[in-house]
Amino acid sequence: MSRKIIPFVVALVLICLVMVVAGVFSFSGAVTADKFGSDTAWSQPYNTAESMKVIDLTGDGQDELFIQNTQNVTVYNGDGSLLWSFAYSQPKTSLGDVNGDGTEDIIVFHSNGVDVITNGQSSTIAFALNIGTPARVALIRFASGPQIVLGDTSSNLLALGLDGQPLWTANMGSEEIRGLDDAKIDGQTYLAAASHSGIVRLYDGTGNFLWNNGQGQIRRMRAFDLNGDGNSEVLTGSEYGDFFIYSARDGSTLFNKTLGQAVSEVREVELNGDPSSREIIVGGKDGGIWAFSFDGTTAAQLWTGSLSDKVTEISGLDINEDGKQEAVIGDEQGNVAVFTDTGTRNNLPKHSSGITRIDIGKLGGERYVVIADGSEVQTNKVNLSSIPGFKYTPLVVGLIVSAVILIIAAILASIPPKPEMKVSFQDKSRESLDAERRMLKESIADVERLRKAGEVSGDAYLARLKRLRGDLAENEAAFKAAGYQVKVETFNCPNCGGTLELGMDKCEYCGQVILS
Amino acid sequence: MPLLCVVGVLAVVVISLFFYLLNTGRKKTTPASTAPGKKDFNPVYVSIADKPDSIMKGMDAFVAKVRKTESAGDKWRWIPMLIFLAGVGLMLIDGILIVLGYFSFIFTSGGILLWIAAFIMARSLRKSDSKEFSPMYKGTKEIIHTLRDDLKPGSTFLGHLDLTGAMLQTKVARETKDTQNRTTQYFADQWLSLKAKLYDGNVLRVSAIQKSKKRKSYTKRSRISGKYKMKPEKFKGSEQELKVRIVVNPQAYQIVPSPTFRQGQNIGKYTIAALSTEGGMINVVANSPFEDVEQEHILNILKSTYSLLQRKAA
Repeated sequence: MSRKIIPFVVALVLICLVMVVAGVFSFSGAVTADKFGSDTAWSQPYNTAESMKVIDLTGDGQDELFIQNTQNVTVYNGDGSLLWSFAYSQPKTSLGDVNGDGTEDIIVFHSNGVDVITNGQSSTIAFALNIGTPARVALIRFASGPQIVLGDTSSNLLALGLDGQPLWTANMGSEEIRGLDDAKIDGQTYLAAASHSGIVRLYDGTGNFLWNNGQGQIRRMRAFDLNGDGNSEVLTGSEYGDFFIYSARDGSTLFNKTLGQAVSEVREVELNGDPSSREIIVGGKDGGIWAFSFDGTTAAQLWTGSLSDKVTEISGLDINEDGKQEAVIGDEQGNVAVFTDTGTRNNLPKHSSGITRIDIGKLGGERYVVIADGSEVQTNKVNLSSIPGFKYTPLVVGLIVSAVILIIAAILASIPPKPEMKVSFQDKSRESLDAERRMLKESIADVERLRKAGEVSGDAYLARLKRLRGDLAENEAAFKAAGYQVKVETFNCPNCGGTLELGMDKCEYCGQVILS
Repeated sequence: MPLLCVVGVLAVVVISLFFYLLNTGRKKTTPASTAPGKKDFNPVYVSIADKPDSIMKGMDAFVAKVRKTESAGDKWRWIPMLIFLAGVGLMLIDGILIVLGYFSFIFTSGGILLWIAAFIMARSLRKSDSKEFSPMYKGTKEIIHTLRDDLKPGSTFLGHLDLTGAMLQTKVARETKDTQNRTTQYFADQWLSLKAKLYDGNVLRVSAIQKSKKRKSYTKRSRISGKYKMKPEKFKGSEQELKVRIVVNPQAYQIVPSPTFRQGQNIGKYTIAALSTEGGMINVVANSPFEDVEQEHILNILKSTYSLLQRKAA
């Protein structure tokens, strides 16, 4: 093939390759330019929320914003106006339908007892209880009936009936209760509890524990039915970076991983949109973020990411309505970021103080991300904006690259080939050709003499002989071209093309046997 | 830490590519080595069987042809750098998108493809570059030029000029091994061979041979640490040998001794090692300890050899 054609053939092959890849990227929709943004709907001053939830507390079918800190328990309307607020000292709260009216009530565990706030009306159901400083409270619907379970900072548990009567007590060590959650076994509800001492237990409605596990000091414990089989999994994160998933059925370890930093938050987020598996996001004290997928048997890490400081809250929201939730995560420096199912990070506007709580829900008919920081609570409309037509940019880039490839091919084809570094000056007169022939034969005889004298190695001998015989063949060709008679003394090896003396039956260069 | 390493390696690759393309544009390549035994010239082989004028013109034409090929690629030498910059431009689009809050890698991918294309083009352009011609190319032309009027009218110079390299495997004369099993190769490179019928009826043969010595690389075990170490090949020296034979026309000359041309005599860079005048032939072998000899030294030997000839009376 011509030297001028080859660059164009190679270029065309490359161009086809580039354009096919570009086409695949374009028409598969794999290439997009998306950006998450947020607009603030309303905000209210509120110091360091400890608990926050968007939920219907009035029974009108519209959600309100429940929020609690160390001084009060407050509920805002969907438009941001104050609905009610009750002052407390160091309260801990939980939500649940205590009176059976179908609307969630607020259970407040405070130093003087337990209050239930129903539609703005507060009533004390228990006081002068035999339990220490409030740490956690939960409403657990055991098979035997609902109970309010209180946990204090000395690892004591006290279960109350909905009328405030104590039912049972338990102790889980000497440090703070760090988690109370309802866990299911075969559809029946039990209490999963964990203390900072490192004890994890599953209690039944009589205060007996079904199993007991011990690990390093626990910071977070939550229970989720990750695979929807009616049996919950209990997730714990420790001060020393250990992340465990236990089976609620028997307390066996389904998965564990050391993350390298204290676990500060664990939440469930439906990242992949596949309801048969649930994803878990774990936040670390140094800003690390890990996403795991649990398939019912064990968990696998999906991706890792990071924020600048301690992860304080994680929440899930399907912002772009593709059936997959994005994880909205805040840290102690006030950063808020949206992490997609692939772990791509998109920053939302930064807050002036550390994020304390994030929740997602409908307020006034609009879906909001509610973010509480050290000084205020803010409702944000999070949106996704895309550059129209961006999916076709691979084709544009492919065309640019193809054009450059074509230009390069044209330039390379225009450059003449490098001349061969063997050049021959040959006079075509008979006398000159005869003289050259004599000289070549003398030279061949010289080489033979050198070989016999051992003054030349085998390889060098063959190389010189090959060259001289080649020159002899050229001399014969020049004789013939000039129309002079010459006795042909050379022929070419049919295998390697090397020039040999007529009559040889084996090529000296390649060893080919020659039949003539 | 691994991320830092990856970024560091990428930065080194990009900077290397930038300077490779810059030097391609400036036509600044690694200079030809002048270290002993490693001289890097165009590997030319010239087969000589023509009249002196044709040979000289042909040699000039060949040089011009090589230069023309090289200059054909010169006007495109900055194109790879421009393609590199176009790649940077594409990547900047991604940078702008990222600043605006969008994540995109597609323009960066295109930029990387352009960089690869720029590298391939630069490499092709560099391949069309030729090296310098050996000084002996010009020197041989000078010898032919000097002897052109002494040639028998209508006859031709015969022989070759082989500047393909003195230490090729095909030029190994012999190999020896020492007590430590190290191999030393001896090369004999007959780089010039000329035969000519002269105007005065004499036949002149000149052959110049470069003899070189090289110790091949070998593996050695350290006596202290026990580790194996690879020792590189080592150039051990080179010398020149010149053989001159004149078959004397007995009707025109008689051979007489010369006080200025005898065994052991220094002539230029050469020393006469052997001199024989038997059988109506003058055979001279001259050695030079220098790696390079110039044409004037060869011509001086030829001129001095002629001092052994005394023209007979007409």
